[in-house]
Amino acid sequence: MSHETATPDDTETRSLFGYPLSRVALYGVLGAMTAFYLIPIETGLMTGITSPETYTGTYPYLPPLEPLIPGTGEFSLGPWSTAFEGLRSGLVNSLILVVPATILSGLLGSMAAFGLTTISWRGQIGIYILFVAGIFIPYQAVLVPLTQFWYNVVPLRTAFEPLAFALPLLEPYHWKLVALIITHVAYGLPICTLLFRAHYKKLSDEMIEAARLDGASIYRIYRRIILPLSIPMFAVVFIYQFTQIWNDLLFALTIVQFGDAAVVTQELVGIGVSQSGTNFPLRMAAALLAALPTLLVYIVFGDKFAKGVAA
Amino acid sequence: MAELTLDGVTKVFTEDDGNEIVAVDDVNIDIEDGEFLVLVGPSGCGKSTTLRMVAGLETVTTGEISLAGRRINDSPPAERDIAMVFQSYALYPHMTVAQNMSFGLEESTEMGDDEISELVADTAGMMGIEDLVDRKPADLSGGQQQRVALGRAIVRDPEAFLMDEPLSNLDAKLRATMRTELQRLQEELGVTTIYVTHDQTEAMTMGDRIAILNDGVLQQVGTPLECYHTPNNEFVAGFIGDPSMNFFEMDVDKDLLIGDRFEYPLTAAQTEAVGGAQTVTLGIRPEDIEIEADRSADSPHEFDVDVDVVEPRGDENTLHLTFDRGVDEPVTFTATVSGLRQLQAGDSVVATFPPEAIHLFDADTEAALHNRSLDVPEATEQIV
Repeated sequence: MSHETATPDDTETRSLFGYPLSRVALYGVLGAMTAFYLIPIETGLMTGITSPETYTGTYPYLPPLEPLIPGTGEFSLGPWSTAFEGLRSGLVNSLILVVPATILSGLLGSMAAFGLTTISWRGQIGIYILFVAGIFIPYQAVLVPLTQFWYNVVPLRTAFEPLAFALPLLEPYHWKLVALIITHVAYGLPICTLLFRAHYKKLSDEMIEAARLDGASIYRIYRRIILPLSIPMFAVVFIYQFTQIWNDLLFALTIVQFGDAAVVTQELVGIGVSQSGTNFPLRMAAALLAALPTLLVYIVFGDKFAKGVAA
Repeated sequence: MAELTLDGVTKVFTEDDGNEIVAVDDVNIDIEDGEFLVLVGPSGCGKSTTLRMVAGLETVTTGEISLAGRRINDSPPAERDIAMVFQSYALYPHMTVAQNMSFGLEESTEMGDDEISELVADTAGMMGIEDLVDRKPADLSGGQQQRVALGRAIVRDPEAFLMDEPLSNLDAKLRATMRTELQRLQEELGVTTIYVTHDQTEAMTMGDRIAILNDGVLQQVGTPLECYHTPNNEFVAGFIGDPSMNFFEMDVDKDLLIGDRFEYPLTAAQTEAVGGAQTVTLGIRPEDIEIEADRSADSPHEFDVDVDVVEPRGDENTLHLTFDRGVDEPVTFTATVSGLRQLQAGDSVVATFPPEAIHLFDADTEAALHNRSLDVPEATEQIV
């Protein structure tokens, strides 16, 4: 065995600047991949802080340093303020949509998973299969039925209008957001249920039985045992659903179509585009602005997310 | 605190393909107020299912379970006023020890917060875990978790305790300590207790009475010594006692038992007990077999055997003995002798099966035909 210990010395002789070659290669690849992923974002950021008037003809990935370095464009926060103005109502609508839709789909998914996993009753497998099947329904297949459903079948608009007049802060066009919330919750429920179910299957049956013997009702078991133990999984589901709903354009186009209720992705489509040409700094600033909330959610829930994925 | 009665309790599981499996078959046990009953049997014998039926976690197929004279078959677990200690402890991982212990009181009683925390503090003190009340279960050792699980059951002051192999996750030393402590606690509290285990040592040492279950059928209910000395059948005889009783299949020829390897003459009383049985199983406990170097007299109960393996245990040696001289893998039986006896594998010795110590079982029904005479232990008792 003493012979074998000599082998590491052999590999160390193949080195670059005193580091083993494999290590140099590893960091080289990592560095290249980091650059590959970050350059588009860096380009967007640099373009976004360039004054639109001086933008033409510059390299988009260079910082705007005129008049210090000629040909790089002038620094300006103008595109950001213009983008914010342009997207403001879309951002507000998106927020009105995404917060309740995310919380509702997470909460209902967790409750459904509890009912389908922790409590046993006849026929639950059949119901569970329906949930799983829901994951595989393609978006394209439901677009026309969705429009028909919300505009012709369900009288949500007529039911909502008197409410909107009676209550402060509510506007008549908000009915479209309510329709969108319900649609997103329904569509997100299967995957949320699946995620929670996987988590609940790992919880100890004896613990639930102990709670039953301790006198807790099904609702109390959910409220005091299951819910607190689901927090890491809620982080996973919230991040996932928030990103899905915030970035969705298809349902918004189908249900909101146009008008005051347009969400941020819809407004992003048209911003900075005119007959005189494309305002790239504005488009880049708007895109980054629209992506900011999802980024914030990742930062806020990140550590819990990691726990939930590992759980 | 109350008496618990199982009357003809049966549990049948129906599998998906319609197969019916009888897990517990017509079990009758009366457990007195304050009694410590150990339900023991090999794994899969239905002892946990029985306990879970008492707890209300499984439905009862037929039969009746009553607590303090009240039928509880159809009551949900919460209304039975029973506390259970699980093998995995089943603590709530997100709650502190104090919260774990108060949970049951909060859910099942109208007590105020102050009253609950006082009770929890008292119980924690009694269990010696008062320093741990603010910790979470993950920060506790197995033994500490075990105490919390017990404390959680005790604090509720239930009519009955159910314990499902509560000590089997502990290491051997701690298990022995907790065994004594549990007994002491149960005696102090005087709560009717059913304790499920597969460990015959726990059954022997802890129970006021033990109930032995095999294949869902109750084999015997009795005090540990009754089950040890006067087993109802071959199963109980083999299950209770460590090392297990030796069994030899013998043909009956009037007052002589003829086996493959030896013949054994019966006393008049034994012959009468055998009756008309054609074949019987002769049973003798390892500690009843006497080992001598040479034959004392020409006794028909002495046999020449070889020592195959010696297992030293310190206080005693377990000998694996065989009639098959010079065979590679011989059929062996066990005998225990004092740990100071110097015996080695390959030694030839004389084994005596004293006639007063043998048990006889019907070879077909396995029922006991004759149990060992108890004159000897009673005599020593009188002397002491």
